[in-house]
Amino acid sequence: MPEATLHRTPTTTEMLALTDVHTYYGHIHALKGISMTVNEGEIVALIGGNGAGKTTTLRTVSGMMKPKHGTLTYQGQNAAGIPAHIIMGRGMSHVPEGRRIFKDLTVRENLEVGGYTVTDKALIEQRIQEGFGFFPRLKEREHQLGGTMSGGEQQMLAIARALMVNPKLLLLDEPSMGLSPLFVEAIFDIIVKLNRERGMTILLVEQNANMALEVAHRAYVMQTGEIKLSGKASDIAQDESVRKAYLGDD
Amino acid sequence: MDLATLLPFLVNVIVGGLVLGFVYAIIALGYTMVYGVLQLINFAHSEVFVTGAVVGFEVFRILAPNPMNGYLKLLIALVSAMLISGGLNVLIERLAYRPLRNAPKLVPLITAIGVSLILQDVLRVIEGFQGRFDLTYTLPDAFGVKFCAAESSCVGVGNFLRTIGVDLQVKDVILIVVALLSLTVLNYVVNRTRLGKAIRAVAQDRVTAGLMGIDSNLMISATFLIGGALGGISGVLYGMKVGTLNAYSGFEPGLVAFTAAVLGGIGSIPGAVLGGLLIGVIQKLVSVMSVLGDLVGSKNLATIDDSYSKMGAFVVLVLILIFKPTGLLGKSNTEKV
Repeated sequence: MPEATLHRTPTTTEMLALTDVHTYYGHIHALKGISMTVNEGEIVALIGGNGAGKTTTLRTVSGMMKPKHGTLTYQGQNAAGIPAHIIMGRGMSHVPEGRRIFKDLTVRENLEVGGYTVTDKALIEQRIQEGFGFFPRLKEREHQLGGTMSGGEQQMLAIARALMVNPKLLLLDEPSMGLSPLFVEAIFDIIVKLNRERGMTILLVEQNANMALEVAHRAYVMQTGEIKLSGKASDIAQDESVRKAYLGDD
Repeated sequence: MDLATLLPFLVNVIVGGLVLGFVYAIIALGYTMVYGVLQLINFAHSEVFVTGAVVGFEVFRILAPNPMNGYLKLLIALVSAMLISGGLNVLIERLAYRPLRNAPKLVPLITAIGVSLILQDVLRVIEGFQGRFDLTYTLPDAFGVKFCAAESSCVGVGNFLRTIGVDLQVKDVILIVVALLSLTVLNYVVNRTRLGKAIRAVAQDRVTAGLMGIDSNLMISATFLIGGALGGISGVLYGMKVGTLNAYSGFEPGLVAFTAAVLGGIGSIPGAVLGGLLIGVIQKLVSVMSVLGDLVGSKNLATIDDSYSKMGAFVVLVLILIFKPTGLLGKSNTEKV
């Protein structure tokens, strides 16, 4: 895909900014002073190995975890330690690690719950139909329990559920995990589409660094709770150490 | 022994068992809903339910001289009991369970037993101040009338029941109607409304529900409110059914209803209803075993009297825990990867 059609030009308005953020799991120092920004209209990839702190970063942003030090602003306002259910009401959506769909709710009910903060019933219905448009498979499974679907279908549902609020900022945690290459392709197509057509800002955590760097504007490379490298995704993709560590080069 | 004597006997067991079973079902819902969101056995629910019974007693007592329609009194009793029991349950969660939300599971369980004991004595003191211990319901006269007593007023099902000798009072019919209405409303709220879906989401995965913008504490409070309100309803129904109770009367029906919830699969709403109805019928069956003994001419059966009826429920509990610990409609807790 040519660069020009792939990317909408991002702005330089900060959607999300972390400055020297420290987060702990009990006594474990998981984030050791993370500073990063995500601008409006950008896709930013967060790559790195297991235990690097990528998921913790997303959890801190969405309010699932409270940072001990540092500042976190979302749309210019403090967001550090504000509970998830409040932050999520402000146009942020988080597709969590492991999909975490509601297994005993039907596909439709999962979507309805995703639209919990949307009070206009007609709008909820419209967005459910949009979700079915993105993922026709979900339409076929509409009244099936979430837990009975395949991993790929659950991932589609998790993304469609997060889109129910038409978020300004979408946090995606490992959307390609455990999926067949066909599903991975489909999901990345949608990520690009959301960014290009709706101008949705996306912070993407991925182990599949190749794919992530292909679609992202910028990237941060994390290692043991710190940011080791940052820059344009295309530059990161050329970086020798990154290629060796994450892109499967020998 | 012939069919002509056995049939009315069995119909009586089933009808009487179902009347009792509906009360158990509504109590069991209070246990199962709270368990669903917190995985906590709310042992204080038996007192939440008795509080409803006491409120019902007070409403009927205070309104006894009032000439208003008996059904209006019932409505006032039910609504008052729902509000007070529901509010009490919310308060219990807020004060006793929420501070222990992240404590090991055993801690809130013991707290629940403590709350249960405290409430028993609080209720006793409140009624004791007025010089009462045993509370006898003063129901409107119309409620005690035998359903279909006069042949002329009987049609359809009523007539059928009368001819086969089923002994139903108006209050039994009221009880079934109120229980069915409660179940219908609950089913609608849980399955069709935004609130119900949010509660189910919180029950399944509190953290992820938070990511959907759902305030899980609010939903837990809502669950205690609904569970408590059901406790209030069941308290009034139980009071109407047994006639006389006191502050300590919640323990036994509470335990039986808890058994019903486990039988159906704790955490499962249809399970609580099924379990309640089954336990009701089983109890009734055990309690009339001596009659059956007479009917079939068995001396051994004839010695099993009413006092064994609670045992029936607990034998079922033991069997369920041994052979199907998840209950009839419960799901296993093994997580799929």
